Amino acid sequence: MTDALSMTRRSVVAGLGALPLAAALRTPAIAQAADVPIGMVLPFSGATGAYGPAMKQAADLVVSKVNDSGGILGGRKLKLFIEDSETSATTSVTASKKLLEVNKVELVGGFWGSPEALAAKPIILAANKVQMLSCAANAVTEGDTKGLIYRLQAKSSQWGPAGAKVMEKIGARKVTVLAQQNPFIVAMVEPFKAEMARIGGEVIDVVMYNPDQASYRAEVEKAFGPEPDAVFVLPLLTDMVSISKEIYRGGFTSKVVSLGTGADAEGKFLQAVGPEVAEGIYHLQPAPPIESASYARFVKEMGAPEGTVFLFAGNAWDQICITALAMEHAKTQEAAVWTKSVREVCNPPGEFVDDVVEALKMIRDGKKINFNGAGCTCDFDEKGDSLNRSFYVQLIKDGKNTPFAVVS
Amino acid sequence: MTAYLVTVAILVCEAALIGLALNFQWGLAGLVNFGVVGFVAIGAYVTALLAPELGWLPAMAAAGAISAALSTGLALLSIRLEENYLAIVTIGFGEIVRLVILNEEWLTQGALGIADIPRPFAALGEAFGGDLVFIAFTGALLAIVFLGLEGLARSPFGRALRAIRDDATVTAALGKPVFALRVRAFAVGGAVMGIAGALHAFYLRYIDPSQFTPIVTAYAFMAVIAGGRGSNVGLLLGAGSIMALLEGTRFLKDFISAIDGVQLSALRLGLIGVGIVLLLILRPQGLVPEPRRRVADVLPGGRD
Repeated sequence: MTDALSMTRRSVVAGLGALPLAAALRTPAIAQAADVPIGMVLPFSGATGAYGPAMKQAADLVVSKVNDSGGILGGRKLKLFIEDSETSATTSVTASKKLLEVNKVELVGGFWGSPEALAAKPIILAANKVQMLSCAANAVTEGDTKGLIYRLQAKSSQWGPAGAKVMEKIGARKVTVLAQQNPFIVAMVEPFKAEMARIGGEVIDVVMYNPDQASYRAEVEKAFGPEPDAVFVLPLLTDMVSISKEIYRGGFTSKVVSLGTGADAEGKFLQAVGPEVAEGIYHLQPAPPIESASYARFVKEMGAPEGTVFLFAGNAWDQICITALAMEHAKTQEAAVWTKSVREVCNPPGEFVDDVVEALKMIRDGKKINFNGAGCTCDFDEKGDSLNRSFYVQLIKDGKNTPFAVVS
Repeated sequence: MTAYLVTVAILVCEAALIGLALNFQWGLAGLVNFGVVGFVAIGAYVTALLAPELGWLPAMAAAGAISAALSTGLALLSIRLEENYLAIVTIGFGEIVRLVILNEEWLTQGALGIADIPRPFAALGEAFGGDLVFIAFTGALLAIVFLGLEGLARSPFGRALRAIRDDATVTAALGKPVFALRVRAFAVGGAVMGIAGALHAFYLRYIDPSQFTPIVTAYAFMAVIAGGRGSNVGLLLGAGSIMALLEGTRFLKDFISAIDGVQLSALRLGLIGVGIVLLLILRPQGLVPEPRRRVADVLPGGRD
């Protein structure tokens, strides 16, 4: 530290004065006047970073599909801005704020994680724009939503009873729960216990673990130790990879019922652990319309093997579709106006349609439509929660996901 | 755009508060605290729990006080440890706080977090465009803390802390109560971190354990190192530069279409790293190094 290098007050003031210019160096990318700006906050890094890329791919696909077919509102193009949530609620706030204020988006969609959605909710509502979710915590659609929030995902309190019904189907009466401590999963446990009690089963223990643990051996031994008929394992992808290996190593015989978020993750789980470890695991997730032609097309366009169950990518796809359709129906890009059209184009009654380009054409022709998406039927109740969610249960057999049942 | 910059400015103020606190503990007194995030979390949770009951000012005061009390406790337990061991103990403290918050649902609502935290001057905010009132509040708070800490740093207390940092044995030999001074320095830093946590809770209005990860501590250290260890003015610049890097890189992908957005997200965090490395190579002493005080400044007529 020499005197030559020490700063004078003048240079400090100059530096301070220059600071705001750093942001001004690049003029903000505002969509061209004719474009309709929409935005998404997706996880590309952090603990849930594995889920973002497929969602972005689906969103990009549907945007170019709509734009190639002539756009919306008389030839205007959708312009999609995507921000990284870094799996952090704080970042989600700045990302949403940037989308709203700099890019002037009408929709802030994406939101894989509930904390990110809950933190961004007040600012999106304050701006009178629409928030669409792919997350499950009940709290997001509770309280005043100003009719601007739509959830394309099943709520936590719907996942729990579905798990109990799977237990009933595989004949498990005495069960334990092994669950990650996170807002999506915590809210499932009580509804699961209630449903188990109703069908005459018994939950003998609930073992919670923290995200990002170095080892899950103690928790796995505690949950499987009492030799229950089955264990309801509630994980995300990275922890399920470790837990399943731990179960395999321990040689436990209890059946494993898990969630698609962990034990499938659009095929990533099987890729990560291989067939021996995954053998015999049941997993459930809200069902996309597996049988429909449009879903098969969607899987093909995503470049995935036939029969892949996309959960979150389908949600991202549908968010864009619904936005485009509602805007076309309301004849405006103004979020506060087109939000009133969402149920008009999504809920029955109306002519069934599952292709967005076709649906746009029908709206222009003045037909009443009932849009069905790639991730769900896209029907919403008055709080913006998804209606008619059925769950698709698969069993991993010989290194493959095989259909087991549909429960609702 | 303005509202977005206001958001960034509010987060800069929060980062600056945390940085100032760390600068006091580590920059001035030489006490490594890797548990910064724990104190911020305590401040945020105390505020979230008390603000609906008591109002924002008592809640914020309680946040500072409780965080300071816990700092004192931790300091009494561990501050005799050598620098490296103090680092380990404080890392442990940060983790303990996070795990307690995550698992003690009766108090903190666990992973679900606490929503609808009331903001100071919310009514006034409604009238004058929300965040503008809050940035004024935040700016004022930062100014008060800055002046307070700068005052302490210039006082005999601050001088003694610098002496302890540079050589604790010599300072002890000169009759200064090294242990008591260190504990006090740690408590002051803890109080400011608690207040920064309160600000975080007020601004986000929803807090959950996932917001208080060790990255908060890392950003605070980056701000102190980039700004110049021991210099409060440098800290303000450092916190501003780190946030400018974090947020500025967000705009890259709106302009560069050649690289896929997913790759750019990963690249962005890498770029931030490169920026910090470059900063340290080009200005290893920080943006504004701690002013070198001479004997002559303190003792008129003393030899240089």
